[in-house]
Amino acid sequence: MMAKYTIFAALVVILGLAAPAAGQAQDIDVEKVFKFYCAQCHGVGGKGDGPNVTENFPVSPRNFTNPEEMNKLTNADIKNVVMDGGPAMSKSPMMPPWGKTLSEAEVDALIGYLRVLCNCKGKEG
Amino acid sequence: MKRISALAVALAIALWALPGHADPAAGEAAFKASDCTACHYTDGPAKEKTIDDQLAKKGPELWYAGSKFQKEWLQAWLQDPAPIRQMKFNSVTEANPGDHPKLAAADAANVSDFLMGLTSDAVEAGVVKPKKNAKGRLIFTKKMPCSGCHQYEGRKKKLMGGRSGPSLVGVGKRLNPDWIYAYLLTPEIFKPVKAMPVFVGLLSEKDMKNVASYVANFK
Ligand code: HEC
Ligand code: HEC
Ligand code: HEC
Repeated sequence: MMAKYTIFAALVVILGLAAPAAGQAQDIDVEKVFKFYCAQCHGVGGKGDGPNVTENFPVSPRNFTNPEEMNKLTNADIKNVVMDGGPAMSKSPMMPPWGKTLSEAEVDALIGYLRVLCNCKGKEG
Repeated sequence: MKRISALAVALAIALWALPGHADPAAGEAAFKASDCTACHYTDGPAKEKTIDDQLAKKGPELWYAGSKFQKEWLQAWLQDPAPIRQMKFNSVTEANPGDHPKLAAADAANVSDFLMGLTSDAVEAGVVKPKKNAKGRLIFTKKMPCSGCHQYEGRKKKLMGGRSGPSLVGVGKRLNPDWIYAYLLTPEIFKPVKAMPVFVGLLSEKDMKNVASYVANFK
């Protein structure tokens, strides 16, 4: 009797721990997040051709579909630049810091999305 | 109920007829009668919780319009609504069609009276003075990506900057300087879901005041 309850309690605890994490991952529609925040500059398809990129835009936003360029970055580099902005990676301040806007889970999901766009794994590390 | 609203409309019409007499109650009636409510909500606090909520909106929220806008600009714009956003509302691919409904002068006077009565107590008055603020300029054009998303006038009135955010050309006549600061300081109150990054913790309160003061000076 006692043992059964203990197993049951353990199960409840495990499920309880697992559920919110799984729920969070499912809640993020990463394509929607990308189109809402990043497409303004990087373009809906990630080619670096969003509506902000006019002739007087000072630097080209990264083209995420270029595997050569994207392979120079580790996932940690991407996380760093998305959270803290261009200057965190000695890049232009025109790449905004999103750390106060997006959750860490959203940024992690975006890294995965960029890796799909470039069809590349990125630098190890 | 129907009879009461019919009466209200009749009353509103009677009031509009009075020359030069702006009236917020008549303005509210005209706001509803002109179907402005189809695209704008006027009861706060902010309702948007998700990107979907924001994308479902057909126009900007107006529940704090009285804290955000300057009355003269508002009254004039309602009669001649030139595009504010370069892109269509909530779109990053289509240009603003510039087809906003227009109001006649008497309605515009009443509706702007009504909208100016919708305020937020998160906006403290008298904090920001519009100035050629050098620190604010540096933040806007160099240190932060503001100019990447917002149009503004550079030297010799050259139009510069991005297109995804509302144009900031002429903000000195359009927006309340104190609202600009309040929006940077407590964005979650006004726009909990928006494509502009949150700068809380990235810009000090002093620098938010500097950049608000710089932007509020745009002619
Ligand atoms: C205001 C325009 C703008 C927005 C919005 C924007 N970016 Fe960028 N981004 C840039 C620019 C410009 C660069 C290139 C900076 C440079 O090369 O100096 C860049 C570069 C990058 C890079 C490459 C950095 C490197 O070291 O090569 C990544 C990754 C990136 N952005 C991700 C994102 C993500 C994810 C989003 C959405 C959350 C986003 N960006 C939104 C402008 C923007
Ligand atoms: C079909 C939807 C629609 C209707 C109906 C509509 N609006 Fe709008 N309204 C918009 C959009 C979209 C914008 C943004 C326009 C722009 O940026 O140029 C806007 C902008 C505004 C603004 C400026 C808000 C801001 O934050 O920039 C005011 C004020 C306003 N509308 C008042 C009204 C009034 C008053 C009416 C009724 C006569 C009305 N609107 C009817 C869609 C609508
Ligand atoms: C990535 C693009 C982006 C960047 C960077 C950005 N903004 Fe914005 N900004 C927007 C968008 C989009 C809106 C409209 C938000 C909404 O109404 O949902 C906005 C709204 C505003 C408004 C209100 C305008 C109005 O008429 O409603 C002001 C003022 C403003 N931004 C100032 C700034 C300042 C100052 C900075 C830099 C510290 C900045 N923005 C950086 C995109 C941006």
